[in-house]
Amino acid sequence: MTESRKTSISRRSLVAGAAATGLVAAVPAPAEAATAVRRGADYVAADAQLHLLRRATYGPTAASVAEIRRLGVTKWLDRQLKPAGIPDAACDALMTRFPLASLSIGEIRSRVKAGTLRYGWDTMLQLGFAATSRAIWSERQLFEMMVDFWSNHLNVTNPSADVWDNRQDYDRNVIRAHTFGRFSDMLKASARHPAMLTYLDNRFSTRAAPNENYGRELLELHTVGLVYTESDVRNAARLLTGLTVDWDTGNYRYSLNSHATGPVKVLGFRNANATAAGGEKAALAMLDYLALHPATAKRIVTKLVVRFVADRPPASLVTKLTKVYLANRSAIVPVLRALFTSPEFRASAGMKVRTPYEDIVATVRAVGYGPDKSGTAGIESLYWLINSAGQAPMAWAPPNGYPDVAEAWASPGGLLARWNAHLHIVAGYRPKEFQRPENLARELVGRLPATYGGLVDALARRLFGRTLPAAHTAALTAYFGKTATSALGSADSAVGWKFPQLVALMLDSPYFAAR
Amino acid sequence: MPDLSCDGCADDQRTTMTRRRVLGNAAAAGAAGAFAGLAGDLLSTQLAFAAGRYTGDVLVVLSLRGGFDGLSAIVPAGDPAYYAARPGIAVPKAQLIGGDSRFGLHPALAPLLPFWKAGTFGAVQAAGQTAPNRSHFSAMEQLERAAPGTSMRTGWLDRLLGGLGATSPMQAVSVGSMMPARVMAGPAPALGMKSIDEFALYGDQKDQPMADTLAKLYAGAPTVLSGPARQVTTSLATTKALAAKPYQPAGGAVYPDDTLGRALRDVARLIKGNAGLMSACVDSGDWDMHENFGIAETGKRMHDKLAKLAEALAAFATDLGPAGMKRVTLVTVSEFGRRVRENGSGGLDHGYGNAMLLLGGGVVGGKVHGRWPGLGERHLVDGDLAVTTDYRAVIAEILRKRCGLANTRSVFPDVRTTTSGVVRPR
Repeated sequence: MTESRKTSISRRSLVAGAAATGLVAAVPAPAEAATAVRRGADYVAADAQLHLLRRATYGPTAASVAEIRRLGVTKWLDRQLKPAGIPDAACDALMTRFPLASLSIGEIRSRVKAGTLRYGWDTMLQLGFAATSRAIWSERQLFEMMVDFWSNHLNVTNPSADVWDNRQDYDRNVIRAHTFGRFSDMLKASARHPAMLTYLDNRFSTRAAPNENYGRELLELHTVGLVYTESDVRNAARLLTGLTVDWDTGNYRYSLNSHATGPVKVLGFRNANATAAGGEKAALAMLDYLALHPATAKRIVTKLVVRFVADRPPASLVTKLTKVYLANRSAIVPVLRALFTSPEFRASAGMKVRTPYEDIVATVRAVGYGPDKSGTAGIESLYWLINSAGQAPMAWAPPNGYPDVAEAWASPGGLLARWNAHLHIVAGYRPKEFQRPENLARELVGRLPATYGGLVDALARRLFGRTLPAAHTAALTAYFGKTATSALGSADSAVGWKFPQLVALMLDSPYFAAR
Repeated sequence: MPDLSCDGCADDQRTTMTRRRVLGNAAAAGAAGAFAGLAGDLLSTQLAFAAGRYTGDVLVVLSLRGGFDGLSAIVPAGDPAYYAARPGIAVPKAQLIGGDSRFGLHPALAPLLPFWKAGTFGAVQAAGQTAPNRSHFSAMEQLERAAPGTSMRTGWLDRLLGGLGATSPMQAVSVGSMMPARVMAGPAPALGMKSIDEFALYGDQKDQPMADTLAKLYAGAPTVLSGPARQVTTSLATTKALAAKPYQPAGGAVYPDDTLGRALRDVARLIKGNAGLMSACVDSGDWDMHENFGIAETGKRMHDKLAKLAEALAAFATDLGPAGMKRVTLVTVSEFGRRVRENGSGGLDHGYGNAMLLLGGGVVGGKVHGRWPGLGERHLVDGDLAVTTDYRAVIAEILRKRCGLANTRSVFPDVRTTTSGVVRPR
């Protein structure tokens, strides 16, 4: 991969590169043998601006395309990397429909105690609904994508019974607070948050009986990866004893009595850990050491490259970004800037495949639907639709976060769920409550084209920023029993009640699946 | 008799990789890590096609995810160290059912007792992987890849399906989750479905088949896109036929209304519907009990979890009946067992050796197979039950005797141990 980037990219080396990313049909089925094998790049518009929108946002919208056309790639990226400067009033207003998601741990607990809030999943579900809404309607798209990235990296399953009172606080004060900050700060915040301490059992870990769950995942998943030994796990677990949750308040507490003293050695980190009073400080020092460890740097930038560039991360880019991460002491914005301005990124169009969550969120964005006029029924319905496709935000159960490579999602069952979601959403069957244009065909294709081929062209330009090859245009017009040159009448069902089926078929196609 | 010693598979083994490197690469490839490198296998692995209809057992692989505590299911009651290590959560001898002088079954497994007595439900103790691995993710990855010390990236069940000549995704179905079973990852066709009834294309009509249009749009697309699309369109016909008539389990079987119960019910439907099933994967999660494990009584965590497992398995065997079960072997796997000694939270941390449960007409049941290493301190591996039987040896015996696979080397390279008598030859 590195080699092919270095030299001028011939078609041959591009194909080889794409093969390495799993995006070339290696063994065409006999029925397909006659058809030329295509690459992921053949399905997306060859346009640097649209490429950036497909990767750094939850999917292009008419407005975001207009915006990047106006600003250009550099200014658009600068703006996204400074989210505080992006007005987002509509989305902020939408957030007030999920009031529980902004409560503190104390507020949740006192409401439950007072009987004004039912003990259960309501808060956590509101957090999931809020995340879905932000992914679709926030203007701070890259920020929201990175919130999702970190939520998976430091996964605490939402909803899950144990974190009923604190998961929304974790989202706000650990993930969102540090999303564009330093990873070392986020890691330390997570280690002192009741959500993480509960999820990975550290709250129950004592000097008499250390629980290794958090110590192991801290090393394996949160920081250095599989370079640790069993001794490192035991030492980390011992040093983390005492980081616990106060039974009465539900808040983080450092418990002197639970802390195991005595020297610890974790990879190259050593600490005398002589007193229980100094235990918390020693644990934080270990977290700083781990956050800035070269293996952590490599692991996190690799995940970022998998997220934004390609399933098989180009080694050259990983090396470059690892240096940026370490030079900036785990500050993430410089890493993102280097990533999105790299030649490896530019050369990666079409090499990623939308995951179920991205796919469904991008569907709503592509057709430009608005949230419920009031209330949250539509948003909730969409959340459950995403859940049934296998990827409700933050809902992954194991601590490793959702997988982020295409093969992990290449299940026929998952694909069918997405196909079904497209038609449900576009036709307004489910959710019913989103704000949809009076005339969807008019909204998406403008003035009615004269032919069926013209209709497919216009819709493809709107949805994908490109037109389709003749064979695929023909496949779509044939669905209506027509050819590309058949005349289109304004009363035809293809632009009437069956128009959503045409949109859905196009969203079902590889032109939408590839990003 | 299909033989798996194919060239493509040998290709996979040519480069020996250390375990560390394999794991390191997998971890580097993303959060899941599990699916890295599949494209390479797609290029190199050849399928051996068997002629004719598959007549072997339907192999049902039940994954107990999170780390199953085999010591609580198949209790080593004859080993005093068991009671010493678990003062709060050991199952008292008086509560055990079935079993023999060395072992007893957890009382929550009562629904399976008739099958134990009939000799169609059995277990292997102290089974597991060749090396301890107490990380859920890499242990699961290793378990399902089942080829330590090689660069094979496919799942073992995929290699089996290739060896048996599977040609349609309906021959290998993982039920209950949209997530594909890792164990089926690779070039052989396989299908993931939440349930039979939910596997339908909305808006598809006879006069306007959406599926046909989609097949045209995906023709020639990269495998990662076109593969699943093709599998969807070819599988819809079968599920449509199965879903057309309401399903009534036979023999008065009542499946628990939970994920596992529903999944096994659908596996039974697929078997009875003659959909060509060779193998099915079902998952049962939430076995990772670091705290509040509980004693062996109703309302306690492990007890209730085992009870639901037993109800689902018993319903499955009842539904298929003795005749149906003659062609079915179900085996459980889990990424690791749990530590012998209970922890300070009344739970169990990650361990090593484990029990495998076996259900089927060809199973030599009513007994506990395997060499018991003992739970005395000097017999443990870092505090955990040792492994005396490679789990792959158990499955390999099933493949040879029940699935008609003469040579299991390409499914499971380098298995050093063998078992004999876990199942009867067909």
